[in-house]
Amino acid sequence: MENNLIYSSSPHIKTTRTTRRIMIDVCIALLPATVMGVVYFGLYALALVALAVAFAVAGEYIYLLIMKKPFKEITREFDFSSVVSGMLIGLTIGTNYPVYAPIFGSLFAVIVVKMLFGGTGKNVVNPAIAGRVFMFISFQWAVGAWLLPAIGSVYGETVATSATAVVDVSKGTVPALSVIDMLLGTGMQGCIGETCKLALLAGGIYLAARKVINIIFPLIYIAVAGLTTTVIGGFVFAFFFPAILSGGLIIGAIFMATDYTTTPNTLCGNMIYFIALGILTAVLRYATNMETVSFAILLMNLTVPLIDKFILNKPFGYKKPQKQKEAK
Amino acid sequence: MSVIKPRFFPYGTKIHGNKLTKNSPTETMPAPSKVYISVSQHIGAPAIPVVNIGDKVKKGTLIAEASGAISANVYSSVSGTVSDICDIVNGLNQKQKHIVIENDFSDEQAFLPPLADFEPQTLVDRIRLAGIVGLGGAGFPTAAKLTPKTQLDTLIINGAECEPYLTCDYRLMMERTQEIYKGIKYVARALKVSKIIIGIELNKPLAIKEFSEFSDLDVVALKKQYPMGSEKHLIYVCTGRKVPTGKMPFDVGCCVQNIKTVLAAYNAIENNIPLTEAYITVSGRGVKKPKNLKVAIGTPFPDLIDYCGGKSENADKIVAGGPMMGKALVNLTQYVRKTDSGLLCLNKNETSSDAPTNCINCGLCARKCPMRLMPMYIESFALAGNFKEAERYGAMNCVECGLCAYNCPARRALVQSISMAKAKIKEMKNGK
Repeated sequence: MENNLIYSSSPHIKTTRTTRRIMIDVCIALLPATVMGVVYFGLYALALVALAVAFAVAGEYIYLLIMKKPFKEITREFDFSSVVSGMLIGLTIGTNYPVYAPIFGSLFAVIVVKMLFGGTGKNVVNPAIAGRVFMFISFQWAVGAWLLPAIGSVYGETVATSATAVVDVSKGTVPALSVIDMLLGTGMQGCIGETCKLALLAGGIYLAARKVINIIFPLIYIAVAGLTTTVIGGFVFAFFFPAILSGGLIIGAIFMATDYTTTPNTLCGNMIYFIALGILTAVLRYATNMETVSFAILLMNLTVPLIDKFILNKPFGYKKPQKQKEAK
Repeated sequence: MSVIKPRFFPYGTKIHGNKLTKNSPTETMPAPSKVYISVSQHIGAPAIPVVNIGDKVKKGTLIAEASGAISANVYSSVSGTVSDICDIVNGLNQKQKHIVIENDFSDEQAFLPPLADFEPQTLVDRIRLAGIVGLGGAGFPTAAKLTPKTQLDTLIINGAECEPYLTCDYRLMMERTQEIYKGIKYVARALKVSKIIIGIELNKPLAIKEFSEFSDLDVVALKKQYPMGSEKHLIYVCTGRKVPTGKMPFDVGCCVQNIKTVLAAYNAIENNIPLTEAYITVSGRGVKKPKNLKVAIGTPFPDLIDYCGGKSENADKIVAGGPMMGKALVNLTQYVRKTDSGLLCLNKNETSSDAPTNCINCGLCARKCPMRLMPMYIESFALAGNFKEAERYGAMNCVECGLCAYNCPARRALVQSISMAKAKIKEMKNGK
């Protein structure tokens, strides 16, 4: 009889959601921030992002070709995760970075952090975060002064030129910018993709609507970070919104901390992870104002295997084994 | 009595029903010229053939006898002559003894002796004699299920039919309502319980309406959420009782029976007819005319497909059972068993044959698992051969509903690995 039947184990139907689909969704969610970055910082910003993406993808191909995987197979299995890493690396540097920074950053992120550990899903830390920290440490000497976006402050005080982009709780200073300006990123120094918070939030809402991320967790992270800053600052509520809206907190919370591979697998584990992340970010910010979100996520990524080892789901109907009472 | 809302159960997934045959009435398919009846259509020891080659049998003649407490009688489904008793490797790659009967189309029916009374023990004995097993798919001998060690208090009838595509239970609930109701009453009598709950999924509003007319049944309108037909979950949403891990439903005072099982019980008790027919949905977009069929047990699968207009060119996968838990066939040398409820011919667009990629740790399998397991860990331990650790992560609790693999974006064959782990763990335990 016919022997051309496909034989496989159940189930025989599957969802349409694939790893590639998820990664493409993340790329789409990053588009508004990219567009706003180009509007604010010009074509040099676009060049940086494009270079980052190109070299992230190239890095993956080069690695797999060296590993003697046929080109066609790589293309067929290409899952867009390196595009996401590349985009994030491009978006988390400022236009004051030299043109070669994203190239090395992407290659480091994809080859060293991701592929050497076994590719998508096997990395210990988020490649984009690692790439960002790599660039921050390596290219400090080449980084010029932060540039301001092309569009100036649209609301409130216009003394933005000298404002620091990050709240400095230890000194008790708040950026001299209105909340609306901080939300739009107008008149505010910052990285290409981090400046316009509204675009990032739009991306976050898209991801939540597509059920790629659970929006609760980034919200927990942002809220805990804001509240902890307020508490550290001596219950000065004026710190709350500037703390949330400054620096890389929102892009970190929505796009980097929620990376599947480097978050715990259980609901409870995720709660612990994101609360700890919020506290760590605020504390680090108190001590320094350099790349705090990146370092906080990087550190917390390393705790994930530990959380996953100890926080497990209990099977349905599980009862704690009762201790047997000793017969008297 | 009334329609009750089920208890909230946060896990599981809504799956597209694809109930192509929802509105097609059950048709009786004429018996084929030859039937191949397996002696092992149930869980437990295979039945022992009691006929010889050349014997004349009627429809309903005992041809193989149960060999132990967990076993079931097998009856001839046609009248004719036994032409062969042989081992056949079926489409599921299992070697089983089959009794081949040549149909003489005289359609003579042999009846079981009429019942003397309707005492519980008599009813249980009749169900055992009629060879009735759990027709939901597991095939556990019903009589064994009806004689629990402790007194039960609730009988739950499983009308969820949560598997996509399958509709034969639904059609039966509409067409044979009275008979099913009487069957339920008999089973309740055999169990000596008075509380009867019937769980029906919300996508079968007509069936819910039919059964809500009876004053002594509670109808629970289950949410459309796979796997509501799973025994443990049905008990939970209907009664709020959780079956402890490693325990059976009777430990919480419940007994779950399938719609088709109670219908078979009705036939055996009221009409003195043993179990010789199966209700089966032939569906999928790879078959030309999907139908709900009443067929003789032992009918070859190709006959079923031919009766439904044949399969189309691009039917790549033939599945015995539903798409979530059913088994794909290696070839079509498969014959209808008591427990069969579906035959699906799926085409390329319906099934997924993507190659598995790396686990991206998204945690979706753990979030959707109705047993609250963590399939990704069990899978990785199973693939690494560390079955002890797999067991520690609760592999034995898996009900193999298939949701983890259904949801997996990396297309990993989670169920396959977990059931492999389960088999190995069982082996380890038996070895000790």
